[in-house]
Formats: sequence, structure tokens, C-alpha cells
Amino acid sequence: MQSDPDNKPIDSDGPGVRPHTYDGIQEFDNKLPNWWLWTFYLAIIFTFLYWFYYYDASTLKTDADRVGEKLQEMEAKKLAAMGDLDEETLWQMSRNPTFVEAGKSVYRGAGGCLACHGEDLNGGIGLSLVDDEWRWGNEAMSIYAIISDGSPDKASGMQAWEALLGPEKIKQVTAYILSNHTEEGMAAATSLNPPIGLDQ
Amino acid sequence: MSTPTNKAPKRDALTSVNKDGSHFIIHPSDVSGRFTSARRFVAYALILFFIALPWIEIGGHPALFFNVPGRRFHLFGATLSFQDTWLLFFALSGTAFALFFITALWGRVWCGWGCPQTVYLEHVYRRIERWIEGDGPARKRLQKSPWTTEKILKRTLKHSAFFVVSFLIAHIFLAYFVSLPGLWERMTTAPEEHWTSFLFVFAFTTALYGNFAFFREQLCIMICPYGRFQSALIDNHSKNVAYDPNRGDPPGKPSDPEAGDCIACKKCIQVCPTGIDIRQGLQLECIGCAACIDACDTVMDKLERPRGLIRYASEEDLLGRRTRWIRFRTIFYTIMMLIGLSVAAFALSSVEPINITVTRMSGSPYYMSETMVRNQYQIRLINKSETPVEFRIDSKTREGAPSVITSGTDRTILVEPLAEVPVTFVMQVARSDYEGPFTVEIHAFDDMREIEIIREVEFLGPDAAFLHPNEEQ
Repeated sequence: MQSDPDNKPIDSDGPGVRPHTYDGIQEFDNKLPNWWLWTFYLAIIFTFLYWFYYYDASTLKTDADRVGEKLQEMEAKKLAAMGDLDEETLWQMSRNPTFVEAGKSVYRGAGGCLACHGEDLNGGIGLSLVDDEWRWGNEAMSIYAIISDGSPDKASGMQAWEALLGPEKIKQVTAYILSNHTEEGMAAATSLNPPIGLDQ
Repeated sequence: MSTPTNKAPKRDALTSVNKDGSHFIIHPSDVSGRFTSARRFVAYALILFFIALPWIEIGGHPALFFNVPGRRFHLFGATLSFQDTWLLFFALSGTAFALFFITALWGRVWCGWGCPQTVYLEHVYRRIERWIEGDGPARKRLQKSPWTTEKILKRTLKHSAFFVVSFLIAHIFLAYFVSLPGLWERMTTAPEEHWTSFLFVFAFTTALYGNFAFFREQLCIMICPYGRFQSALIDNHSKNVAYDPNRGDPPGKPSDPEAGDCIACKKCIQVCPTGIDIRQGLQLECIGCAACIDACDTVMDKLERPRGLIRYASEEDLLGRRTRWIRFRTIFYTIMMLIGLSVAAFALSSVEPINITVTRMSGSPYYMSETMVRNQYQIRLINKSETPVEFRIDSKTREGAPSVITSGTDRTILVEPLAEVPVTFVMQVARSDYEGPFTVEIHAFDDMREIEIIREVEFLGPDAAFLHPNEEQ
């Protein structure tokens, strides 16, 4: 039994030392624990299985596949939310109290439209939405387009709301605005510029 | 394959790994004494604390509740949402430096006294093992014996008990993430309704069982990162469990006048849970559990020699010099610990259940009309609390600033629990008043005016000279 730290006991049947010396430090030549070695072996086996399943057999989806799928899903959802987007549908929605009510709460809430267009749509900083004069078109679709993509007049301050609200809410707000008009009245109203449509 | 049950510890190889790489199973003998009793008391207190925390309610929530799906963390009455995770950096680094500090003073005292690995292994699992299979020598005999009925019975009983204990610990651990009612719901409904929880409990039980039934000291010696870098944290002034060679050497019979106080009884080796001989000096495997101190003290008491042949001592102590407590590293670790913990404490105390962000709306920084200069903002109202909040928004300018007309926020805005509501906020200043950029404070407060959050924004406009061309500068 040795207790002096400077007296290094190396048994004749001990592990011996590795041939290399770094900074005067030598290494005993002990065997690694078996469980430790098995973590290496299993990792190697896993590598081949992973490689095979993902990139050779294509049985499992790669991350690229999954991202592609997710993007497609989002695109489909967006298209579905757009639904039938035309004059006819928007007018139909404007006659449905549920849509109009939803549009009103977006107008006053998340959209914050009232900050510029007034509590009762009669304008302020922004244009009035109840009178019979339209700057960018006297059509339901041109109203939708302005909310979605913003005003063509960049000095006006009307930003694009598509990213913030999404098509569903924009449709509801459009329906709320249209509910203050009739198809006939709108057709007879004046438009200062040719009606615009959606960019896409 | 027969593995040995007796081995003399050597410094050139780990006792717990055999020459062929297999695991040498260590059977520490019984030990009793003041450190063993104190450690057992600390361990039971810690286990009780672990079990009790989910049951204690502070502010309507369990004292510690990591609600991962809800992205909310309840820490002793404070509620953190995932936006507040940055303060974890300070809390964790402060705690880490506290551990460094303790290590610099008392070596691996955490490992021996507070680490869950030691607490559960020594005071739960090994107690069960002791109860079923007997003392160290009895367990060695059992390991060597062929598979008799007795061995099969004892081993079955032991492993069943280990599994049940692991299962219970896994359940309590799950309660930290799903709360006790959540745990009860999961226990009383079909597995497929909460299959992730069942998978978690199954995996965690298996890991605990494998660790505490078989792996044991291997974790401390080869896996624990703290165990590996402790040698960089201690110096010759750190107190460790140490054998005093000046007093003890050379070991010999009690009757031998030439011999030191060590009688080579090997009790210190027999009780060591990592299988080292402390008389060979401070070693990487030592978890500072002090079992050898108690074992040696018992022998010294019998011989009527003074205690402390093995004791908490620094290298300097052993050389007969004085241990310095105030060193560069202890001061440095203290400063780092205080920085981390005080920033975390300050941040934690200033976390509000509501928050707002103010950003300029996309487009140009300002707009002009016939009479007005206009700035448009998007305010996001964030409610991190459990109850709906009615927000009000107000704006204030400093003295001398032009008067501002606001629109969009002259109402209360209801934000549901855990919800965010964007609000359009428009500010206008008359062209004739505008003299240049100025600061506006946006105040958001709940209807009761209990919490108020202030954000500063800059009102921008064109060069004032452009607005007032006729005025003399």
C-alpha cells in the first residue's frame, strides 16, 4: 500500500503506459469500459441506419421534405381562406350579420382601422368609407385589394395589412364596409382612379 | 463469466472497471458516524423537499411548475413566460458560480451531500439493497453464489423494489411539468390520451432504474461534467476528504512502535462507494462523501487515538501550513455569483404580467397632410396573466414639446389571458407646431392602474425649415 503521492506504484501486472509523452504526461494503457465502447458501437450502427432510412431507402421524411410539406400546407390554407374571392361573394358576405359583426370587431380591434377612418367609418385622417366617392375604385374587390396590399399612393399612409390580418379578416372588414352600401349605389358612385385589383 | 468481488485499489486504473473493461461491482460496507448521520438527515430533507414542492401552492400555482405546453414557468409565486427565459442565463450562471465557489472552498462537497445521484443512491437504493441483501460482505457472497432459490428471490425482490421506487420518482418528477391534478388525470385516464406523458414516465423510470441499480458510480466518475472539471476549480487551499500521511504512515500493527497511526485495517476502502483508497491521496473518483472519515474515526476511537486521521483538510493543512480562505479564485467566483444571482433576482422582481411593444408601422417614418405631420405606430398589447386585462393607452410629452393629437387608443382594449392584441396608434402634430423630432412616452396600464408600462418613441417629421419657409432662422 502506497500513500506517498510522489511514489508512483506501477505493478508488473498493471496496465503499462502508452508510448507517447505530452508535456511530460504519460497515459496508462487501460481498456475503456465496455459500456462506453458500446455507446460508440451503437452510434456507428445508428449512423448507418439513419443514412439508409433517410437518404437511401427514403422511407422516412428528411427535414427538407418536411419543410416542403409544411409550406404546401400553409399555401393550401391561404388559398382556402381566400376561398371564392370575387365581387359576388364579398357582397353576399356584406349581407350576412355574422360576417359584418366580425368585420366590425376587426375594424375596431386588431385592424385598428378606426384610428384613421373614424369610429363610424366617416373618415378623419383617412378617407370616409361611407360617402359615394372612391379614390381607387367603386368595386368590392378594389376595397379588398387596398386593405390587403395597401394604397397605391405611398404618401397616404395606408399600409398593406395582409401579413397582419390575413385574408379571412380582410374579407370580414371588407364585408363590414360594404354593409354600409348597396350594389346599385356603389355602381353609381364615382371613382377618381380606375378600380384597382389584387397585385397577384 | 465470473467477475472478482475483491480488489485492491490502485492509482493506475479505475477500481470500478475490470481489466477486460467490464464493470467491477462495488459493495460498500456499512458505516456509521457523525458525517453519515448528518448526510442522511440532509438527504431525507432534500427528498422531502423534492416530493413536497408540487403540493405547496404559492399564488394559486404549485411552488415549482414548468408548464411547457402553456409556455409558463411558476417559480415560488413568480410567473415567467417564455419571453422571460433570458433571465435563466443569469440565474443558471449565478448558480454555477455558487457551485464553483463551494468547490474552491470544500472540494466536491456538493457531490457527497447534495447531488441527487448520491442522495438517492446512498440513502434510498442502497438502503433497500442493504435491507434485502445484507451488509457489504454478504452482498459479495451473494454475487459469487450460484443461482440458488435464495439468490433468485433476493434479486427479484431487490429489482422489483428498485423499479417501484424509480416509478414513483418519475411520477413526482412528471408532476413538476403537469402539476398534481394533471398527474392525477394522467394516472386515471387511458394511456393513449396522454401517450407522451406515459412515454416520459416509462423512459424516465427505465433511466432511473438502470442508473441506480447498475450504473451507479460510473456516472460520477465518467459522465458528470462537474466531476471532470472540479480539478480545475480546486487548489492546494481547498478542503477535501484527505488522509494525513504524516500521522498515519507507515501503516502498521497497533503494537508496532515504528508504525504510524494507520493500522492498515482497510475500513476506509471497504466503505468507499467509488472503490478508492483515500490513503493514495486526492483522486478523481472521490465524491467527498466522508464515509471513510466515519470509518476511520470509529477505529481511532477504539484504539483511543485522536480522531481525524482522515478528515476534511487541504493540501496545505497536510503540509502543516495554514489554509487561506480568501484567494483570488474565491473572490472571483463570489463576484461572478453575485452578478448572476442579483441580475436574476432583479429581473425576476421586475417581470410584469403584461407587456407592450411599440413599432413604427411599415411605410415611411412620417406622413404629411395639408395641416398635419403624422406618425403611425403599431402597439402590441401582451397579456401574460391568467385573467383578462382591460388595457388603456395614454401618451405624454415632455415640457416644451408640441401638443399631440392621438387616435386609435381612446378606448379600453380587452386582452384575453395569454393573448396578444395589435393596436393601431396614430399621432399628429400641427405643421405650424412642429419644430423637430421629440420624444413621446407611451403609457399602457391596466384598468385598475396597478401596472403601468412606459415605452418611449421618437416623433419624426421633415426638416422644420421646410415647414416654416417664411420664418427667419
